[in-house]
Amino acid sequence: MTVEVTPQTFTFVSFDSAYILRIAQRLIGIFGLEDQNIRIDINETTPLGKMHVEFGDPIVINIQSGAFEDFSRPRQQSEPATTQSLGRILLKVSDRLSPEFADAPADEDLTLMQVAIWETYCVGRLSRHDIEINRQRWLYNFRNRHGFNDASDRAFEKIWNSDKLTWDQLQSISDTAVALAQ
Amino acid sequence: MADSKKPRAPFAPWDRRELPGLFSVEESARRVGAYKWCELKLFEALGGWIATVPELDVKMRLGAHCYKHAWHAELWHKRLPELREMNPDRLTVAPNEHMVRFIEALTEPEAPELTIEKLVGVYRVFIPHFISAYTFHLNNTSDITDAPTMRSLRFVLQDEFEDWRDGEMLIQSLIETPSEVDRATNHQASLEKILLAAGGITGSGTIGFNTPEHEGALI
Amino acid sequence: MRKFLPVEDLARDERFNQITMNDRMADQRTAITTDSRPSRAANRIVPSRADASDAARGLMHGIFVGEIQALEGAGRTCWDFTTGSEAPFELKLDMARQCWDEARHVEISCKLSDWMGSEIGEYAENTVLFQAACSNDPVLRLAGVNRALEGLAIDVFTTMKEFGEVAGDQYLEFAEDWMLADEVTHVKMGSDWLRKITENDPERRKKALDFQSVVDKLFSYGGTRSESQESPIGLARRFRELAGFDDQEIDVIADLSLAALEERKAAVLEAQAALN
Repeated sequence: MTVEVTPQTFTFVSFDSAYILRIAQRLIGIFGLEDQNIRIDINETTPLGKMHVEFGDPIVINIQSGAFEDFSRPRQQSEPATTQSLGRILLKVSDRLSPEFADAPADEDLTLMQVAIWETYCVGRLSRHDIEINRQRWLYNFRNRHGFNDASDRAFEKIWNSDKLTWDQLQSISDTAVALAQ
Repeated sequence: MADSKKPRAPFAPWDRRELPGLFSVEESARRVGAYKWCELKLFEALGGWIATVPELDVKMRLGAHCYKHAWHAELWHKRLPELREMNPDRLTVAPNEHMVRFIEALTEPEAPELTIEKLVGVYRVFIPHFISAYTFHLNNTSDITDAPTMRSLRFVLQDEFEDWRDGEMLIQSLIETPSEVDRATNHQASLEKILLAAGGITGSGTIGFNTPEHEGALI
Repeated sequence: MRKFLPVEDLARDERFNQITMNDRMADQRTAITTDSRPSRAANRIVPSRADASDAARGLMHGIFVGEIQALEGAGRTCWDFTTGSEAPFELKLDMARQCWDEARHVEISCKLSDWMGSEIGEYAENTVLFQAACSNDPVLRLAGVNRALEGLAIDVFTTMKEFGEVAGDQYLEFAEDWMLADEVTHVKMGSDWLRKITENDPERRKKALDFQSVVDKLFSYGGTRSESQESPIGLARRFRELAGFDDQEIDVIADLSLAALEERKAAVLEAQAALN
């Protein structure tokens, strides 16, 4: 199966498509996605860092350039940022392909709270693959969506430390945190 | 309750303050003017150095200390007219040319790799001399006539002790090799020699003269 | 130690990477959309934004480095000018006080950055703030730093305080409110000194206000700060009034900021047309 990165050369940013491809291939191997055709489209006209997946053949991952950027050196590529962003989105692809996530709403229908629990689940798992992650960053994001309280923090811990959750279980942890905080 | 008409002594039995002090109004004003000049030079230097030190913790400490010394300068500035010096600028002067040279030498280090020298000059030389000068003044002035100066001296000394401790700890944390110990001590020695010639913050007699012929003499 | 330190000599440890306004202008990408639908065009840093946490973290780092430069700028004003002949003693006392305040702000920003999961040096440091503090006239420096820069700080802290309030983040809200109180004092300090020093020198006052306007425009570059929801940072009218800006002055900054935003949008349209 194939993995492709577009564009091959960049105008607005100093990114290296071959480098992105190598990182993607490594992560695809880790997450067992070798049997999928995947294309990574990078939108270099915006410094934002949004990512979006279109399922088909190939699976198309749209990524804004900010997701791979070294913010301390604008327009330069960051290896950790590239790895983390690709890792997050590829784990999400992997989840979407599994029956445990059949009930997950479409991306455009996900609430901010749902986005946060899924992101936390992805990044928590990534952190156990020897990929450097700033845990506090994701805790802060989780708190922004679930509240700054103990119930929210307990929910974060549970999701962060889990490897085999279904969408329904994720949603239930989130619901419990919200209910307890009220 | 005691009889409110009953006469009481003006000084309670526990109040041991005495009237005489070592300093005349003029001498006290001269010293306060020198304090102001030195504190002014110190806060200017600390302010200037903030942008030249790369160490973040040092940068922030210098910012906080810059204000403290400015506040000291302000206290002395306000005290001068109360000591019959209606033109505070007249007495806001260096006690002698050696002190001017000291300030020049103190503020000479600028490069980012000279943080040790900057801190040594302030916290191992200048501030210990402030502590000495202020302590001498506090211990020798009149408890009664010069009480406003003493009140300021106590506030200022509190700051000086705290800043000295902050600075000394920063220096100790920055010195990591024997050659850096040498850098610190060599710089300290060179500055101390200039201050020795100056005679201290207020010039000769800053902390009195510890000889039999001066014993009990007014400055 | 020299008088007047050039911006490129600001001392930093290896975590920091400094960029200039020219570097920023060289980045042709933009977060501003030409989509006129309100939901798409809104860039204000609020919790309801999808990337709210990261946007807030980025802004907090900007505050952190901005506070360092404000600290350095105030410190240099203590040093660069001769007391009496070039700058009044009392003005220097105010600048020393500002040093302490800004040092505390750096400390607060460090703690808040930890809280939000950012690392020192994670984002580039734009040195434009210190450049505003490089004028060799103390009045211009006060206009640039205390009125333009600290005015921007009022806008930024208000945006962040509201962010904390809406998100339920009391830690952030508490700290921002304290910093906001200091900044209002600093702006007022600048306004008072500007009035006092130029009382009998209208030409110098005009020069200072013109300089402030240039700095204000620089800080509004790309529509970063304006009353439009398309700008990440709002214009804090109420706190600016408290700081001594009159309505007319605030209107001028509002117009200037909006013009910068429109300018940027036009540039985006042009760039997109060129691409197509």
